Amino acid sequence: MDAFKIFIVEDDVFYGEMLRHYLALNPDNEVHLFKTGEECLKNLYRAPAMISLDYSLPDMSGLDVMRQIKKEHTDIPVVIVSGQEDISTAVALLREGAYDYFVKDDDVKERLWNVLKKIRENVQLRSEISYLKEEIGRKYEFRNVIKGNSPSIKQIFGLIEKSIKTNISVSITGETGTGKELVAKAIHYNSKRAKKPFVAINVSAVPRDLIESEMFGHEKGAFTGAVTRKIGKFEQASGGTIFLDEIGEMDMNMQAKLLRVIQERELTRVGGNELINIDVRLIVATNRNLADEVQKGNFREDLYYRLLGLPIELPPLRYRGNDIILLAKYFVDEFCKENKMKKLSITESAQQKLMGYHFPGNVRELRAIIELAAVLTDTDQIDESHISFNSADAAGNLLMEESSLAEYTRKIISYYLQKYNNNVLLVAKKLEIGKSTIYRMIKEKQI
Amino acid sequence: MAQSEHVNYSLEKLIGFVGDDPEAIKNMVNLFLNTTPSLLNAIIASFQEGSPEILAKSAHTLKPTLDVFGIRDTYDLIRNIEQKAKRSELDEAMDKQIKQLTHTLELVFQELKLDFNLP
Repeated sequence: MDAFKIFIVEDDVFYGEMLRHYLALNPDNEVHLFKTGEECLKNLYRAPAMISLDYSLPDMSGLDVMRQIKKEHTDIPVVIVSGQEDISTAVALLREGAYDYFVKDDDVKERLWNVLKKIRENVQLRSEISYLKEEIGRKYEFRNVIKGNSPSIKQIFGLIEKSIKTNISVSITGETGTGKELVAKAIHYNSKRAKKPFVAINVSAVPRDLIESEMFGHEKGAFTGAVTRKIGKFEQASGGTIFLDEIGEMDMNMQAKLLRVIQERELTRVGGNELINIDVRLIVATNRNLADEVQKGNFREDLYYRLLGLPIELPPLRYRGNDIILLAKYFVDEFCKENKMKKLSITESAQQKLMGYHFPGNVRELRAIIELAAVLTDTDQIDESHISFNSADAAGNLLMEESSLAEYTRKIISYYLQKYNNNVLLVAKKLEIGKSTIYRMIKEKQI
Repeated sequence: MAQSEHVNYSLEKLIGFVGDDPEAIKNMVNLFLNTTPSLLNAIIASFQEGSPEILAKSAHTLKPTLDVFGIRDTYDLIRNIEQKAKRSELDEAMDKQIKQLTHTLELVFQELKLDFNLP
């Protein structure tokens, strides 16, 4: 840990030297003594962790010095150590933001020692919090968490990069398991708001009657069961980001209230009258097509345009080609590391099996499949026998949709073209059909 | 090193602040002997010149130092001088108090010089 820097501002040479000596008895302390307020202010760039300030200084009063300190460095605790025994002076200084006030009497050393201990603990906690926040930031560095080299995912990287530079609202769409919340967190933790809270709320998971209180909070006695005041998610996210997942599930009444909050940038807790200003960035996600919902009259058009902001559409895993293998290898490595297992490889046949599956549960499903395979294998390899697909929405779903043979053909070819980045020759080879058949269908706009 | 009996000051109190480190104690005693006479002179001069503000400020500065050395008889004395100076009561009573303070401190200076073998 770095030395704990303490400034002593004391014009009495003897008393200042005595305090310096006393505080330097702890070898972790780095103590600097200044005889005037001006000297102290000039040295603030050295970032002291605490300032012991005499009230009566030759060039300015302790109160003026403290005000100057607090102007630029609100976090530095200033402890007044003074010969002033007047209580009103002490009260005034504490009101102005002094951390504590000691009279220069017999107890000063114990009190100073105790307050230092407390400040050190606070500084340590603050530095731990700051470290953890940076760790989270590193954890969510989006190129570390969103794996993939496919053109579709590279396009997503480009959009994330654009979104982190501003406060624009972001609307994320994508099938279940495509990583909507991960993208939302990546945007937050790479943005200027990273050190403030990221608060997520799943709209569909909260009962309709409670959603308003959950989002905007409530006052004590607002309704039966509201025994204390509750701060809502919007207030909790102050200065940070609020992520509204499954926004398409929000009922019309709540949509109107949300629209008002977004427009006015202020809210009122349920049962309250006080208007509370809010400063949050909004990221929403849905697996529904909100434009369709607007058409159907299920979603307010004005809210839709407010929320749309920068739209990010996450591709289904089945359209991400080799990302499937890249992700599978990443998940198996992660799983082995977390469970202290030896490293496992994925055989060619297992990879082929994975590539042939359409992953209705997307990345989430792939992870589950890989983790199960890692548990099932008794060797240092995962082979095709360890890969099992249990999804209710597996490949058979295609056949469950009653269609003509021509429609099935069209769907299959479209699926393969998307999967292999419109590489007609490769798709023709995979499906064992003539390339001209595919070109003809493209020309005739069948696909 | 200091003797075990100290008539006019408290070594224990000083150790409480500085720690039981003979060298550090000697340094602090030296500092006290170098800085306190000028503060005392400022008190005497400001009284003679009728400058209550300087008098109050000097007494205020000297007050905690006297506490650190546990100098008996000066606790109330220095506080009285400071308060009276703040009220601009530079009267005969204060003259007596300053003389008493001067006398006590001279004894302390002598005792400290003797105890710590200082010139």
